[in-house]
Amino acid sequence: MPATFSWRCLVRLLLLLLLLLLLCTSLSGGNPADPPMTTQDSNQTQVISVTKMKAGHELSDAATQELKPGGKQSTDVAVYEIVLPGPSEKNISLASPVKVELICKLDENSNLKNPQVTWKKGSETISHTTKTQNSWAIQVTVSGSSELGSYTCFLKAEKEVSATFHLHVPPVDGREKPMIAYIGDTAVMVCKTEYNAKTWSWYMTNGTELISIDKILPKDKYDIENPSASESRLEVHRLTTADTGVYWCEAAFDLGGSKARFDVKVLSIAEPLKPFIAVVAEVAILVTTIALYEVYSKRKAKVNQKTT
Amino acid sequence: MPARAEAGRAPGPPDGGWGWVVVFGAFVSIGFAYAFPKGLAIFFKEIQDFFGTSYSEIAWVSSIMLATTYGAGPISSILVNRYGSRPVVMFGGLLCGVGMISAAFCTSILQLYICVGFITGFGLALNLQPSVIIIGKYFLKRRPIANGLAMAGSPVMLCTLAPLNQFLFDNFGWRGSFLILGAILLNCCVAGALFRPIGPGPAPVKTQVTEKGKDALKGKITEDGPMENKTEEEGEKDCFEKVNQYLDFSLFKHRGFLIYLIGNVLMFLGFFAPIVFLAPYAKHTGIDEYSAAFLLSILAIVDMVARPTTGIVANSRWVRPRIQYFFSFAIAFNGACHLLCPLASSYTGLIVYSSFFGLAFGMVCAMLFETLMDLVGAARFTSAVGLVTIAECCTILLGPPIGGILIDTFGDYKYMFIKCGAVMVLAGTFLFIMNYYNYRMLAKEEKERKAKEEDPKSVRTENEGKKNWNQDSTQDGPELEPLREKGEGLKKEMNGTNEA
Repeated sequence: MPATFSWRCLVRLLLLLLLLLLLCTSLSGGNPADPPMTTQDSNQTQVISVTKMKAGHELSDAATQELKPGGKQSTDVAVYEIVLPGPSEKNISLASPVKVELICKLDENSNLKNPQVTWKKGSETISHTTKTQNSWAIQVTVSGSSELGSYTCFLKAEKEVSATFHLHVPPVDGREKPMIAYIGDTAVMVCKTEYNAKTWSWYMTNGTELISIDKILPKDKYDIENPSASESRLEVHRLTTADTGVYWCEAAFDLGGSKARFDVKVLSIAEPLKPFIAVVAEVAILVTTIALYEVYSKRKAKVNQKTT
Repeated sequence: MPARAEAGRAPGPPDGGWGWVVVFGAFVSIGFAYAFPKGLAIFFKEIQDFFGTSYSEIAWVSSIMLATTYGAGPISSILVNRYGSRPVVMFGGLLCGVGMISAAFCTSILQLYICVGFITGFGLALNLQPSVIIIGKYFLKRRPIANGLAMAGSPVMLCTLAPLNQFLFDNFGWRGSFLILGAILLNCCVAGALFRPIGPGPAPVKTQVTEKGKDALKGKITEDGPMENKTEEEGEKDCFEKVNQYLDFSLFKHRGFLIYLIGNVLMFLGFFAPIVFLAPYAKHTGIDEYSAAFLLSILAIVDMVARPTTGIVANSRWVRPRIQYFFSFAIAFNGACHLLCPLASSYTGLIVYSSFFGLAFGMVCAMLFETLMDLVGAARFTSAVGLVTIAECCTILLGPPIGGILIDTFGDYKYMFIKCGAVMVLAGTFLFIMNYYNYRMLAKEEKERKAKEEDPKSVRTENEGKKNWNQDSTQDGPELEPLREKGEGLKKEMNGTNEA
């Protein structure tokens, strides 16, 4: 029995180990556990900062088209191309007025030979130019929101194929899923886009109306911050159940506005407390059962020992 | 000591019965310890937005938690040596619960570091070590199976926690989720309650407990063997020697332990990085997010099956005596997988890679602690595991960041895979060669010991202090003896039990 064991010794030992622990933690510090995400983020921001210099550069939609750098020639015209057969849609985000050239290209190995080509926007036909034997292009000067929309090229020979370019304002990222916050807490909504917006505005839905947040009293309940031109942050303090609802953030670009939606639900603390208490009760019951079973089996063993 | 003489005839570790319940408890406990930090990643984006911090500041939470879980190993070992597994695991579970519950009310990122990082991390450390230790106390012959089953807790818990965390987050936000997760972590207390204390052999502990009432502690100290006699002889000892009672630093003179330590420290440099980078690598090759996540699911499922299977294979009579070779092979196989990964560029290739990676990962994890137990014996395993985890702590934390740096400098993932593969193949080869040498030395020492036994001199040399303890410890290696030389039968079994 280590009766001579001193607590001073234990304290000294624990301090030493705590020091070692802090050493370990400091080693881990500054090194994020998942650096590749930062790598990818920083790569993306590099690409985007380059493309932001050229207004209205291509943003590919992963579902419809492979990553391809556009803008092959001069800084005045942005060029976008779809090769058929292949993904037949492309989403192009344009923030400010720009001239774009949309090219439909036919792959050499395709079966279609010498097709008849038409370019259409909606029902309106647009005249095109034949760039090479297998590619046809149109030029669009986008100066306002009326020039935005979907431009389709139709190639008709033995069969008809088509490709569509969707020109639109840059999308704003919100949250699709409802956001949960608690009474008395703060709700934070962050709106991001890939381009620099001219202005940001926030709205709240009241019934069917959209009310600007700036106009709601009291003023210190809402905090709007714009850490950069491409990001906006709304903080709602001292939440109550009345704050449940839909919030909108709107980014205004030269070519129009773009909205994102946030669904905020304010819950009382009693909501998570119910499953919490249920689990704690389950733990308590299990621990008690195990302890009682152990006492019972020990008593049985003793009784068996006594009888044998 | 008459009690010890009786111990020679007492049965060894139960190898069954309540032991399987203990394996279940260890399954839960180890599962939480390994899977919980990984499962928290779902909340990070939301917390990052809430506090307005950068991604790396959030990643600190994970790093601190991991560092504390591994770094607090020695503290865990000391507490287990002093109090036994059960109180430590229950206290650890309580600490985890308290940590997460207080995290639900945090108002700054610094408070999150403390609550989630330190407190919960420390609680998980108090869960992990004792669970592994108590398996060594309950099993000998079937220990690899028990280890494999217990370690399978990690992928199972991860597969359960990931969708559970997503569900909690969608319904309760991050604060509510932390509150409920705190309650869920209290289930570690339930696992701890199952860890009935067991001595080196039921007979000596029982007689002493019934005779001397609350001297259950003495039963634990008999495990430390000669150390106890020292306490009785000397009055005032200096701090270092007292420390040695609870954390056996003399392990650093143990050949097998040193081999294991160096090999493992090397291996962990390349162990976790591929998992961290698998999904980003898949996205980099153009695969969409859901398919990339599916790769990790395949990995987890194969891992789940591989661990108990490896346990069963390692327990077979062909592998068990040479289990160190099997371990080295598993590590080298793991490294080979990583070296071949850059060749897989299509999605099917990556699926094949994930399956083999899951298999290799499971094999290594299942035998991680089994091989250490095999080398140092169950008695000194308590201290060994604490010392090993704090040494591994550094390389585990360095692995992914080094991989990240490689990816950033070269812009290509293949160098990271090559680095991980090379490091692991190197570690595997090192362990293979050194264990070959170790087995030969052990065989030689065994021959010398047998030659001495022919002498009428008493074999019970435990009373002569540290020097003979070293001798005994080298006999710990051949716990495989009961299995290898069945002809020697009972006598060897007794030897194995004595050291246990």
